[in-house]
Amino acid sequence: MRDKRGTDKILSIYWFVVLTLIGGGVFAMVYVFYGPPYDVREIESEIFAGRIADCLSRQGTLNPNLFVEEGFNQEIGNTFSEDCNFNFNVEEGYGDEIQYFYKVEFYEVTDLEYPVFSFYGGNNNWEMDCYIKKENSKEYRKLAKCTEKRFYALDEDKNQHLIKILSVIGKSEKNAKQ
Amino acid sequence: MKKKGTILVENIVFIILNVLFLSILILFLLKQGSGTLVLEQVYSKEIAMFVDSSISGMEVKLDMEKGKKLTEKSGVDFGNAVIITGNFVTVKFGEGKGYTYAFFNDVVVSANAEKDNMGEYTGMYVFRIKEDRRGT
Repeated sequence: MRDKRGTDKILSIYWFVVLTLIGGGVFAMVYVFYGPPYDVREIESEIFAGRIADCLSRQGTLNPNLFVEEGFNQEIGNTFSEDCNFNFNVEEGYGDEIQYFYKVEFYEVTDLEYPVFSFYGGNNNWEMDCYIKKENSKEYRKLAKCTEKRFYALDEDKNQHLIKILSVIGKSEKNAKQ
Repeated sequence: MKKKGTILVENIVFIILNVLFLSILILFLLKQGSGTLVLEQVYSKEIAMFVDSSISGMEVKLDMEKGKKLTEKSGVDFGNAVIITGNFVTVKFGEGKGYTYAFFNDVVVSANAEKDNMGEYTGMYVFRIKEDRRGT
């Protein structure tokens, strides 16, 4: 009979090479899965848009503070964040840069192309991120997450308006792999 | 006779090493899913999300049993695992500095670990949304 000890040893070494490869693969997959932070910005921007909508309208009627005798209250943008209880303080890592942005546009139902009134709050540098086509790459994942919400509401004179809300969350350091 | 004995020892060593490898792999996978860093991040973001959605007067109970087990292992008081300061929520299950996430809803929130009749932690955390910062 032939002595197969040499073959067996080679097989064992081969087997451990295979195990090492499998182990390395599992480690890599786990690292890819658990390594990047959980990205909650989409949910956060949806909640943010919902809160803005709640602040603008209750049961289908627009907040009276949005209007003055002459029409829309042009000053509403200055106090809206405070009136709606928004606090834009963020964690230390971001410095003083605000990580939130919102824009509200009002349209007449007869002209849905051009807004009759709009205002915004937060850091408007984030807005451009919403118009960039997002691809599934590392750099694109760092872009801000946006939510657009639309609804109809009546003013006190029962005029119908379309309201578009754009809400944006930056916070890429806490939500995307750097 | 001597030759057969050598083969047997090799086989046993081979099987032991295989079992060891698989055990380490399984332990690694289990540890990654329930690690302190991962859970601190998950809970702090979860808390921030429901605080953002809530209005004053709400009370929310959150099951943090997994976090309680981690605090028991690391010897940290579960009652201090969640700290809310201003609009920041910090969750800490170990000796590290924990994980902090900000919420935009400007409300006063209290966080308390629930205890049973025996004074033991139940693993639940109770969050009370008291009022917004303007007091309305």
